[in-house]
Amino acid sequence: MSNRRSPWLVLVSSLVYVFLYVPIVVLVVFSFNSSRTNVVFEGVVNQGPCGPFYWFCQLFSNGEVLTAAQNTLTIAFVSTLAATTIGTMAALALQRHEFPAKSFSEVSLYIPIVIPEIVMGIGILVLFSTIFRFLNNALGLSGDQRLSLSLWTVIVSHIAFSIPFVTLVVRARLHGFDKAVEEAAMDLGANEWVTFWRVTLPMIAPGVLSGAMLAFTLSLDDFVITFFTNGPGATTLPIYVYGLLRRIITPEVNALSTVWIAMVLIVLLISQRLESRST
Amino acid sequence: MAAWLNRLRDKHSRRGLLLISPTLLWMIGLLIIPLILVIITSFGQRTADGGVIYTFSPDNYLRLVGLSRNAPCGDTPPPCFDDLYVGILWRSLVLAFQTTVLAIVVGYPLAYFVARAPAKRRNLYLFLILVPLWTNFVIRIYAWIMLLRTQGVINGIVGWVLGLLHISFTPWEMLYTPGAVLVGMVYEFLPFMILPMYTSLEKIEPSLYEAAADLGANTLRTFLRVTLPLSAPGMVAGTILVFIPVMGTFIVSDILGGRQVILVGNLIQNQFLSARDPTFGSAASIILMVMTLIVTIFYARRFGFGEEVASA
Amino acid sequence: MFTIRTTVWRGVALVALASLMLAACGGGAGQTSSGPKTLPSGFECPEPSPKLDVTSKEVNLFVWTEYIPQDTIDCFQLVYGLTVNRDEYSANEDMYAKLNSGSTSYDLVQPTDYIVGLMARQGLIQKLDKSKLPNFGNLDPNYLNLAFDPNNEYTVPYQSGTDAIVVNTEKVTDVPTKWADLWKPEYAGRMVFLDDSRAVIGLTLLTLGYDINTTDPAQLEEAKAKLAELVPNVKLFDSDSPKSALIAGDVDLGMTWTGEAFLAQQENAAIQYIYPEEGALLWQDNYAIPTGAPHLDAAYAWLNYSLQGDVFWMMMRDFPYTNPNTAALEFAKTNHKDLYDAYINSPITNTPADIIKKGHRVDDVGDALPLYDRIWTEVKGSN
Repeated sequence: MSNRRSPWLVLVSSLVYVFLYVPIVVLVVFSFNSSRTNVVFEGVVNQGPCGPFYWFCQLFSNGEVLTAAQNTLTIAFVSTLAATTIGTMAALALQRHEFPAKSFSEVSLYIPIVIPEIVMGIGILVLFSTIFRFLNNALGLSGDQRLSLSLWTVIVSHIAFSIPFVTLVVRARLHGFDKAVEEAAMDLGANEWVTFWRVTLPMIAPGVLSGAMLAFTLSLDDFVITFFTNGPGATTLPIYVYGLLRRIITPEVNALSTVWIAMVLIVLLISQRLESRST
Repeated sequence: MAAWLNRLRDKHSRRGLLLISPTLLWMIGLLIIPLILVIITSFGQRTADGGVIYTFSPDNYLRLVGLSRNAPCGDTPPPCFDDLYVGILWRSLVLAFQTTVLAIVVGYPLAYFVARAPAKRRNLYLFLILVPLWTNFVIRIYAWIMLLRTQGVINGIVGWVLGLLHISFTPWEMLYTPGAVLVGMVYEFLPFMILPMYTSLEKIEPSLYEAAADLGANTLRTFLRVTLPLSAPGMVAGTILVFIPVMGTFIVSDILGGRQVILVGNLIQNQFLSARDPTFGSAASIILMVMTLIVTIFYARRFGFGEEVASA
Repeated sequence: MFTIRTTVWRGVALVALASLMLAACGGGAGQTSSGPKTLPSGFECPEPSPKLDVTSKEVNLFVWTEYIPQDTIDCFQLVYGLTVNRDEYSANEDMYAKLNSGSTSYDLVQPTDYIVGLMARQGLIQKLDKSKLPNFGNLDPNYLNLAFDPNNEYTVPYQSGTDAIVVNTEKVTDVPTKWADLWKPEYAGRMVFLDDSRAVIGLTLLTLGYDINTTDPAQLEEAKAKLAELVPNVKLFDSDSPKSALIAGDVDLGMTWTGEAFLAQQENAAIQYIYPEEGALLWQDNYAIPTGAPHLDAAYAWLNYSLQGDVFWMMMRDFPYTNPNTAALEFAKTNHKDLYDAYINSPITNTPADIIKKGHRVDDVGDALPLYDRIWTEVKGSN
């Protein structure tokens, strides 16, 4: 650790933090704007029963936004859970086992990183259409029973682009892993399954967690792929917000971002508190 | 074949296959097969209604590199070299390069700062870098519109300050310029550069700094001969994480550039939607992928991926 | 390690809690049971007339962003007891790409005129059964039987409008009167145009005296050259919310469509909408039913309800476009006189008949589309 911290370094770093946060601050401040057109800040709004929180109240009575938010979270959750599990398994396989098709697997995991999102989106759309068309005909489904784009097609797609990132992160963690601990556990009588749960997993947990967070972030913000794979009732926040750009962007959108940021900060602060308390 | 089957009999190998099977299912199903479809489409020809005739025609690729037979040649007699799409590819490369360099320059000090900070604080600093990423991508760009526009926050503050000093001020036209796109790109992707660089820097043993000091190196020399080389893998990983998305992005250039900055991503989006030419769009996508693959492979060969990319 | 796992679980619990809260908040719309049909906001819902027999439990709309009054949706859910699922798009091409994939299950879409023919040819939309549309008669015949859908086999008109010149008369003294005026050097760097290749190339063709849907490569080359002179003077292209730039003062004039101009004028009365001498661009948004719609009865119920005069007038209240529904206009005239007067007196929403006659409608150009696209890419891309 450096005990002589250069003041220049601190200054420049602070400036970079400022750069990162100025847009955020602007967003939050403007969510209290009294001007509906939201171009210039004309003063704090004071309208209706909610007063300065007028736009927030508007937001919470907006069913569309809430549904979209709910969908976004659901998709992020489920896809993260699945991708983390599958990705960790893959990392273990690639790092510790030799098997046919190993190189193929490794290469294929790099594809989502280099492929343009719109290509992946359209490609997946075509794929789903072909499969659905075939299944609908073969099984004679119609009307409401028909297979079509829905929340599940979005989740499946999100899992697809999250797996490689989880795998990468967990593999890196496994890279410097000292197998001696595992061997010791097994020498002491633990079988493979127990060893995995009580020894291996806890030791790679930070990597698994990072991978999960990465997958969650990617899913939360995804626009292009979600656009091409979603169906009725499966709108997500990014798509909703992008669609909102058609109208005057009222401070309601800012209120949405403020709420989002606040939630993120709360989760962050609480987890920090928990960690420091248990240390 | 027999050897292959023999390997399967090995329990270790079977276990490996089992673990990797869901991943393979997803990768093959949702990535490789669609990719193959895209490649096939890129060799096709467009129907009047925007459908695809599946043939084997290199026309789309020729058109991209400017050697198409149908290229409009203006005054010169055909065949001529059409630089329209090559120009777009080049411009995207330049922007990606500029973004990456700026991200390194801006992000390095912060990465260094966090890496040398006390362990207790480091997580907090890191999370603070991540928080902006967890807000909505489109909303963040929109915030830049509010900052950069003629009546925006920046012009407002500068005008107010200069007003106090009685200096007249015509607002700067910052929005809807290529500069605005660059700022937006750097802003969006800065965290992806900082995190890998941080990981590299954090791994540097403090004792190395002490050793350098003991050997008589001053701050600058230490930085140039010890820190910089050892953090190179991080910069490389960061470059990959920034360069590739910038090449393929279209939303930032759309919104902040007033839809006048056409990059490869915009071109591809255009082809699939307004122009209804999926064959040309597919070809452009493949070229884009090939370009990013070349960059990736080059870096992977020289430096290896490792933990730096993983940390992001 | 214990710490991390606890943290994870608590984090997970928190986010799960958050989403549950959201679910509780958002679940209110439209689930109320019998009784007087009034929305929580106090708005009284008109009864459906005629009321159709509907067995489906829901209807899936795929519509333009912010183009249906929330009250209409809420009322429909209330009077029919159905759930309305709404997905949105902000460009016809996006909607087309989704429908073309054949894996969607929407009951209604809102294509603009130029894409209707293409969708019909591709079998993406189905022919309407007029016997199920008793309220079809509410529509003004001037908006029916247009070239893009003879006899309205596939579409029900929704809203209509124009693309024309918009000017902030406070900032611009020399007000343009024709498309060709926009090329004047004094407007450089002060204009906003729609990010619509057909519309912009189209108006350039008009200044040269050519047809807006020409497929003649020579004419298109000329248009390209002329357009190349204009583009450097354009500050931004925007098909999402061009009025924002106008209101914010980023631009002083340009080209936009009915709704945007009207809303801009509301914010700043100095903003005027001018129909150019060469002729404005006409467009019309319509309802259509995709092939294979799973809830056909609900779709017809929606169409009929939406077409009612006492329901459709809300469009005039919420979205300022040209209204093709005579019953709605009559209803507004009787019950909401101010709204009606504002609509009728504004040349923006109430497009004068001679303007419509002089207007030009964009149509699909089939094989020539790549030519248009190339021009667009070239003039924009070589900046």
